[in-house]
Amino acid sequence: MDITETKHDYYSVFRLNGRLDSNTATGFEQKLFECIENGTQRLILDFQDLDYISSAGLRVILKATKNLKSAEGKLVLCSMQDYVKEVFEISGFDSFLPIEATLDEAVKTV
Amino acid sequence: MISFALKNNLSELDALCDHLSQFCQSCGVPKRQTFEINLALDELFTNIISHGFPDENEHHVHVTCDNEEGVFKITIEDDGIPFNPTDAPHPNLKCAFKDREIGGLGIHLIRSYMDRIEYTRKDGKNVLILTKNL
Repeated sequence: MDITETKHDYYSVFRLNGRLDSNTATGFEQKLFECIENGTQRLILDFQDLDYISSAGLRVILKATKNLKSAEGKLVLCSMQDYVKEVFEISGFDSFLPIEATLDEAVKTV
Repeated sequence: MISFALKNNLSELDALCDHLSQFCQSCGVPKRQTFEINLALDELFTNIISHGFPDENEHHVHVTCDNEEGVFKITIEDDGIPFNPTDAPHPNLKCAFKDREIGGLGIHLIRSYMDRIEYTRKDGKNVLILTKNL
């Protein structure tokens, strides 16, 4: 999986390309938490090119959301394939995570 | 029908995906159902690798897939410690966000995407049969 991070004035966008599973989740977790520890508390995960997610990926997202909420930060997701979105719905993650249709909308929400 | 063996290493998830995608494509399973079957199989394999083998030895997980008359059947066999996923507790998805726990979601996803899960312990092996109506 490739992860591209783009820094903006008060937020960062992570664009994920490929498969987020138990094999790639550790690398993703490291990148995400490195960014949070460096002081960026508003993050967008752009799933436009994400083909696959398993519970290992959901775990990282839940952990990051808990961390950011305690620091008044925010995590916003966007541009999911419909079958990826269904994984979030089945897991009940759509009840506490903003999921936007496009990156533009995510930028407004974050 | 397709059969393959995977080593007890998470890097085998790519091989799992390749075998499954090829088979699903060859018998015309739509992309969305292929994703759902892949996810269920991934969650199970990850569970087996993470908890099934306390020793340092190499083990193999055997997978067989069959698609007949609209019923997709997967059999997974491993010689790890006894583990019956059908006994696993259901995670609480309705609780307040602060009480949401990290974990327990894998088996919830398998239950959601598969129509039937049958477990038996046979000859020192875990045998799990997952069935999905296409």
